[in-house]
Formats: sequence, C-alpha cells, structure tokens
Amino acid sequence: MNSQRTMRTVNSLFLHVLSFFLLWEWLRPVEQLTGTNWVVFFLGFVAGSLLLAFLGAPRALSALLKGIYIAVCIQFFHYSSFTDMLQSFPASVLANMEMMIKGQFTDLSNAFRTLLFFVLLWITVYLIHYWLMLRQTILFFFLATIVFITVLDTFTPYSAQSAIVRAVVIGFFMMGILAFQRLSSTENLSKPGTAQWKWLTSLAVLVAASAAIAFTAPKADPIWPNPVPFIKSIGGSSGLSTNESGQSGFRSDDSSLGGPFRPANVVVFTAEVEEEHYWKVDTRDAYTGKGWVASNPDEEARTFRRRVPDSLFSFTEAVPAESRTSIVYNEEDYGHIQYPHGLERISAASSFRYSLNTGTSKITPFNGEEPDAPDSYAVQYQHPSFQARDLQVSTPEDEGVAFRSIQNQYTQLPDSLPEEVRQLALEITAGHDTTFDKVKAIESYFSASGFTYEQEDVPVPAEDEDYVAQFLFDTKQGYCDNFSTSMAVMLRTLDIPSRWVKGYTEGTYLETLESGNQLYQVTSENAHSWVEVYFPGIGWVPFEPTQGFTNEAVPEVEDPTQAPVNEETPEDAETPADTPEQPVTEEPTPVEEELIEDGGEAAAVNDESFLQRNGKRIALIAAAVLILSVLVFKFRRKWLPFYSVFQFKQKKEDRHFPEAYLVLLTQLERSGLKREKGQTLGEYAKEIDALFSGTSMSTLTAHYEQYVYRNRLEPGTWSRVHADWEQLMHKTRTMK
Amino acid sequence: MSQMHPEINRILTNMEKVITGKKEVATLTIVALLAQGHVLLEDVPGVGKTMMVRALAKSIHAELRRIQFTPDLLPSDVIGVTIYNPRDMDFQFYPGPIMGNIILADEINRTSPKTQSALLEGMEEQSVTVDGVTHVLEKPFFVMATQNPIEYEGTYPLPEAQLDRFLLKMKMGYPSLEEEMDVLKRAQNVPPIDELQPVVSLQELRQLQLEAKTVYVDDSIRKYIAELSSATRFHEHVYLGVSPRGSIALMKAAQAWAFVHNRDYVLPDDVKHLVPFVFAHRIRLKPEARFEGAFIDQVIDQVISQVSVPVQKHVADYE
Repeated sequence: MNSQRTMRTVNSLFLHVLSFFLLWEWLRPVEQLTGTNWVVFFLGFVAGSLLLAFLGAPRALSALLKGIYIAVCIQFFHYSSFTDMLQSFPASVLANMEMMIKGQFTDLSNAFRTLLFFVLLWITVYLIHYWLMLRQTILFFFLATIVFITVLDTFTPYSAQSAIVRAVVIGFFMMGILAFQRLSSTENLSKPGTAQWKWLTSLAVLVAASAAIAFTAPKADPIWPNPVPFIKSIGGSSGLSTNESGQSGFRSDDSSLGGPFRPANVVVFTAEVEEEHYWKVDTRDAYTGKGWVASNPDEEARTFRRRVPDSLFSFTEAVPAESRTSIVYNEEDYGHIQYPHGLERISAASSFRYSLNTGTSKITPFNGEEPDAPDSYAVQYQHPSFQARDLQVSTPEDEGVAFRSIQNQYTQLPDSLPEEVRQLALEITAGHDTTFDKVKAIESYFSASGFTYEQEDVPVPAEDEDYVAQFLFDTKQGYCDNFSTSMAVMLRTLDIPSRWVKGYTEGTYLETLESGNQLYQVTSENAHSWVEVYFPGIGWVPFEPTQGFTNEAVPEVEDPTQAPVNEETPEDAETPADTPEQPVTEEPTPVEEELIEDGGEAAAVNDESFLQRNGKRIALIAAAVLILSVLVFKFRRKWLPFYSVFQFKQKKEDRHFPEAYLVLLTQLERSGLKREKGQTLGEYAKEIDALFSGTSMSTLTAHYEQYVYRNRLEPGTWSRVHADWEQLMHKTRTMK
Repeated sequence: MSQMHPEINRILTNMEKVITGKKEVATLTIVALLAQGHVLLEDVPGVGKTMMVRALAKSIHAELRRIQFTPDLLPSDVIGVTIYNPRDMDFQFYPGPIMGNIILADEINRTSPKTQSALLEGMEEQSVTVDGVTHVLEKPFFVMATQNPIEYEGTYPLPEAQLDRFLLKMKMGYPSLEEEMDVLKRAQNVPPIDELQPVVSLQELRQLQLEAKTVYVDDSIRKYIAELSSATRFHEHVYLGVSPRGSIALMKAAQAWAFVHNRDYVLPDDVKHLVPFVFAHRIRLKPEARFEGAFIDQVIDQVISQVSVPVQKHVADYE
C-alpha cells in the first residue's frame, strides 16, 4: 500500500505543477499587456503557494510565509526601505480601502493594487487546491482559462496562438489525471500503480496526438464575420478613424496593415521651415503580427498650454542640438498636431490647450473644451545632430532600471512571429558589435537584397501569415509601412527597443521666402511611417529604412565606405510613388552576395514553404492513417484473437490465467455476446457453451471462479485449460 | 448444479423415499437447518409440508414436535409450565413442545401475537425463560412455521420484525401431474414414513453445521451482498428495504448453500439463487406500488438484474 501512497503523492505533485502552468497562462498576458515588469515575483508567489498547498503545510505557517513574501515584494516594488513602508503603508491601505468603498478605483495607489493582486492570486491558488484535492475536478477553471485567453486574443494585441495550445494540453492532462483519481476511488482499485501508468501513457499519447493533429491540420476560415469591429463600434471609439482614413493618407487604426496605399491628393498643411524635417503625429509600441496598436491606448493624458511636458521625451541634453522654429498653416483639421522630433513648445491663439497622450505621443488640440485645431501654429524644437561616436558607445547599463522598463515595453513581440525573422535579423547583424552598427545594418538591408518600393500591389497578410514575414520572405515589395514595420520588428528580435512612428515627410518644396525660410506643402500623399530606436543615455533616434526616402535627422555612420543611405535631394524624395528608387537590383553588393552564398535566408524560406507545399499531402496521409486506424479498430474482433493467442503462448505461468480469462470475456463481448450486469459467470458460461455446443467455457469459468471467489488457483490450471481457451478465442472470430 | 455434499445427499435421497419432487424445497430446508436458521412455509394445506418435515426429522434422528397454533393457544402451551408438586413440596417445570429439535409450527398466524412472540423469542435466543429460570434449547433447534396465505379472517399477521427472524421463506407448490400420480401410487401402500431410517446422527449434523460456517466468503461476494441489500432500500417501490440482519442471513444461507453443493467457497450464483427466499419477506412495498400492481418478486428480479455481479478480484490480491 506504500506504493499506492507514493503514486498519490506523485499524482498530486503532477497536478500542482500543471496547475502552476495553467495559472502562468493567466499571468503571461498581464505581463505583455500591462507592462508589469514584476510578473516573475507573482509567479514566484503562485509557485510557493502551490508548493505549500501540496506539502500540506499548516494554515498558520503557510499564511505567515505568504504574508512575509507579499510584504517583501511590496517593499521591493514601491518603498525604499522597510521602515519607510511600515510608516506609510498601513495608512495608505486604510485610505485605499475607503476609496474602494466609495468606488474611486482609479485613485488607488500602486502599492495597494499590488496587494490586491497578491490577495487575488492567494484566493485563486486556494481555489485550485480545493478543486484538485477535494472536488477532483478542474473543468471550470480550465474553461475559464480558455475563455480568458480567447477573449484577450480577440480584443487585445495579445496573440494567444501558442498559449491556447499550451492551455488545452495542460487542461486535458489535468482532467485526465483527475478522472483517473475519481475512477480509482469509486472502483476501489486494488493496484492503482500499474493501472495508473497505463492510464498516464495512453493519456499522454492521446493528448499529444490530438494536439499535434489539431496543430497541423488545415484550419477553416471563420464562418462568422469578425465581430470585433462591430463590438468596438458599439463602444463608440470609431468616430475619428473613419474620418481620417484615406483622406489624410494614414489611418488611426493600424492593427491590420497591408493592402494598396491610395491616398487622396489633399493638401493637409503648408509649413514654413528653417530646414526641412519630418513631421510626427503619433507612435505605436505593440506589434500584433498584423499591424501596430498602442499597448495602452488610454494612457494618462497630459494637458498643457504651451510648453510640452517632459513626458514627450525625445532625446537627452547630451545630444548637440540647435533651436529652430517651424510654422504650420493648417488646411485640414484631422484633430492632431503634427510636430518635429525634439518638440519643445507650441504657440497658437491663446485659447488653445493641448492634450498629450503619453502612450502614443499624440497631441490633440482643444479650443476651450471642444477638440479643434488652430489654423496656424508655431512649433519650437531642438534639431538634433546625433553623433555616431556617441551612439556607438551607448550601452544598456547607462540608465539601469528606467532602461529596462523601456526595453520591456518596446521589445514586445507576438508569440506568432515566425522564428525566421529573428534568424534573418541575426544574419544581417552578424559581425556588428554595437547596437548602432546593428541598427544601421538593418536599416540599409532593404536598399539591397531585392526589395522594391510598391504602393499598389501589396497584399494583406492571410489569417495565419505574419505581416513582416510576408514582406521579408514572400512579396519583397511594399511601401513605408512594410519597411518600417519590418525594421522595428527585426530590431525587437535582437532586444533593441524601437517604436513605429507615423507622420508626414517634409512635403513638396514651394519657394524660399524673403526671411530665408522655406515653404513646403504637405499633402496626404506625404503620409509616411518610420522607426525610432532608443539609445540609453541619448534617447529616441529616428531611422529611415524605406527605399527612396531620407530623413535629415537620421545619424550617419562615420566611415564613409559603409554609408549605404542614398544621398538624395528633398525634391527627389517628395514623390516616392513616382520614382521609387531601386538602387542595386542588377548588381548585387558584396553584402548581398554573401547572404546568398550563405544560404541561411533561403533555407529559412524553404522551411516555411515546405509545410505550405506539402500541406495537402500531409493532410491526405493523416486522413489515410486516421481511416486505417478506424478500420483496424472496428475490425479488431477479427484480428485481436490472433494477437492475444500469440501473446499468451509466451505467458505460461498460472498467474496469467485470470488475465487470459478476462481477455476472453472482452473478446466475447466484442462478438456481441455481452454478459448482462446481473448475470453470474456460471450462468454466462452455460449460455456460451450452449451457443458453441461445448463445455470449454464452463471449465474455464469454474477455475476462474475459484480464483476470484476463493483466492485459489490450482497449480497447472493454465496449462490444462489453455487449449479450451484458444479454441474459444478462435470461435469468437467466426461469429456472424 | 454440481454434485452434492455426500452426507447431505444421503439425507435428501432418504427424504425422497417419502416425498415426491420437492427436491428444491427439501434442499432449501436443509440449507436453513445448516445455517441454524428457520423456515417459513407459505402454502395451502395438503401439499406435504408436514410429511417433508417428518421425513427430515427421521433422517437426522431428531425429535419432531408439532404445535398447531389456534387463537386460544397460550405461551405456556408452547414453552412449558411450572406446576407445584405437592409430593416434592416444590415447583416443577414441565417442558412445552418447543423443547425439541425440530418444531413444526402449523398456521403460526392463527394465534395471538403474545403466543407468536413466545415462539419467535425462543427461535432467536435459542433459549426460553420460565419463571426466571432460563432453559437452553437443545441443538440443533429448527423451526419450520407454516402459514396459510388464503385465509385472513381471524388471523394475526406476523409483524416485520418477527418475519425477519425466519432465514428463508418459501412456497411448497403443487406437484406436477406425474409427481401427483406417483403420490397416489405411494398412498396405496404402507405409509413409507414409518419405515424411514435415520442416515445421519444429531452429532454429525451439529458437525455439519459447524463446517458450513467455515465456507469462505470473498470480499467481492460480501460487497455483492451489501449492494443487493442496499439496492432494495433505494428501489422506488420499496417502503422498507432489507436490514443488515437480512444481509447477514443472505450470507449465512449462501454459505450453507455452497456447503450443500460441496464447495468451500461462495459463488455469486449461490447468493443470486437465494435472494428471493431470503429477501421476499423482509421487503415491504409502498401501498401505492402495491396498488399499481407491483409484486415483491418483480422488485427482487429488478434488484438482481440491476446489481452487477463481481467478476474481478476485489481489494485482496492473489499471491
């Protein structure tokens, strides 16, 4: 019975480990969507609590340990020292409780939220333990997990492709084990050990096989139209986006990029500038596999009158910069301010206020309370000249914690991103040591390697296709969104924090005014997107991967031999649609030759297309195997006896007799001679013998009855009745 | 059924000289005797109840006492009475008919509950107390009570608690045509009962009773019995199900049945065969069920088919 207890313990350990993984699936999206950097501590808490529950630690002790853990964590997250915490935290908890009762949830302090989250986890772990050990069912929690993941997948940038597979596999495994526990307790199994191993192996095979089949099988497109836009429109957040798309040349919803770029030729604004520059509108930080979203669209808004708050951080004072001013004459009101990198101050009529979304860097103008853009305004900004020397020496250590937080937010990638993208990024940057060199290598990668600028023939990625992978390996033609997104994503695979910037290019040069300022006209065709990379100690540095475009602010590599960026006049760059530059398509650069010889990229492409090309064949084979298995299973009555007879030829010891008898019973049942529930073996044997006109079954049964009901098996029984048994086994095959 | 235990077989063969057919009832009677239980026969008069008991008593060399129960019978008529003996200047106990080995209690439902309980108490305790003196009854002590199912006028039906004391309840049934012809033929000759010789001594019978107790009952069988009893308690038509005492009775009877069939372990077949005889008088149907035409036999059949027979080892492992 000792082994039985060990089995139970192993089972319970197994279940606790699995439930840890299931809970982890709840915490993963939290990490991605809220930018919490401390998920590992919460995970630690969950693991510890489950361990305590598994060990059956006394409640008081376990509560004490958990309490200490929570206290230490809260101190570590939010307070500089324990004394500090002891002084202010209890009061803060009371104050927060009061707020909670009053319903002021937005005012709750972070420390209190952390405490609440810990309490939530505590309760969850307790519930799971209760479900596992007492109720022995997990279906509810499992379903809740699935619903949670699918809802997140549908309504947020979180991509749950692999999460759902993991959750399903874990959940089915847990349910299988629990079902076995329930069965073995109701059936009073005397030897759960062997049965358990059989159960576990078959369960593992079953779950693995079904997961594998489900994973590889071709998936039908959804029958229903995607309900999300509809649901969101009911939520009433789509008002601006319909207004903006098409006319301004860019859409406010970038969550699904791709398709032809057909802006209406509308003049958006005219600008009077000292030197031409790009105009920013907003930035995005979360890539979904199809496009970009703001990880936190409702980030706190900062309202200001003139001076732009520090939260619109562009670069540090270490960067040499020159103060300049540009004046914008608005032709169309799209509800936002366009501004140069390094913006410091906006001057317009005094009634205007501005609201800065710190999440997306978008500035919305207000006239009084109404959203309204001024007809003209001046933007005062610092024009940076980023020094390649400084960028070369910028290392992550420079800013410590702050940098880690930025790195966390701006290196987010969806789970669905194909591994080839990372491989390609590694190949391109092979041999480059510093971050800056790597960034430049990727930026210039697109000007070679057979990429072309194209506005019309750009497909939308298929359901299971990644926007970046499609461009990099498949189509290799596209417009600014393709180039900039690809660059940002590749940088992120290398853990280099980067973001996607939307705005306008400098526009079309009109004339030079008497003051020496230049006048530019910006139309919706000048809508553009590019990349900003964060360098510790320096700030956000713009880069321009799109062919045929030049951003003055982009830092140049000092070594002139390596400079791949085209030296173009602004006039050339104004109308990229007409003259997309394809600088090096005929004569591959040495770099490109290396890549082709290397073959790494080609192999990666092959890998993907192998599945695509042979998808049908694999599906066919799988179907054939499935049908064959069904047939083999359906007709097992015909062939199983041969196998069993063969099997028992080896097992001559008496102890195998009962096993053989049960095999015979099962085989008879398969042949349609099922024993009734209330029928005794003796009665059944008579019935069988009457049917086969013999006495074999009664002979066998008499011996088996002695074994079961008397605990006695006469030596030599099995060898004496073996012939009877074989004869019956074969007779069952010949039944109708 | 396989072969019988040799000594039991001798008794049965001996009895067959007198009674025709009825081997099943005779066997069940012996089963009850071996399990040290009692039998309630429910049948019309004249089907050979008395003859069978007499044949049994003769075969085992036991003393047969017969009590004809009437409404005016008193407990002292059953147990015995203490009478003052002027010669010895003392009270003297004159034992009643209960002080025998085999008691035939005819039409037990005709007498008053007081007298009934005097007999039933003796059956349960294997002893009687008269005026503070306890008299232990001789062993074997076996009561075969009969009751007439067709007359209810002026009867006192036995309460459930007392019915529970009978191990088996059965019906004699009419003989078949051939059997009845045989009966008629035998009736022309000298009553064979007078020529019947004992084949087993009382001492031997007591030994057989002890042996029957040692018949092996596996855990799986015990579980089967318990499940059967429990199923009667939860049946929709049943008002009062089988008590644990009923389960014990079923196990003892099954042991004796296995012993009679020369086996030293109980099969589910034994249990299943005995269920109607052990359970029928321990189940009380709901009035509405009776009104709807449910019979105890049907209920028992349902219970038997519902409860699954154990066919695999239970808990104890074979070494």
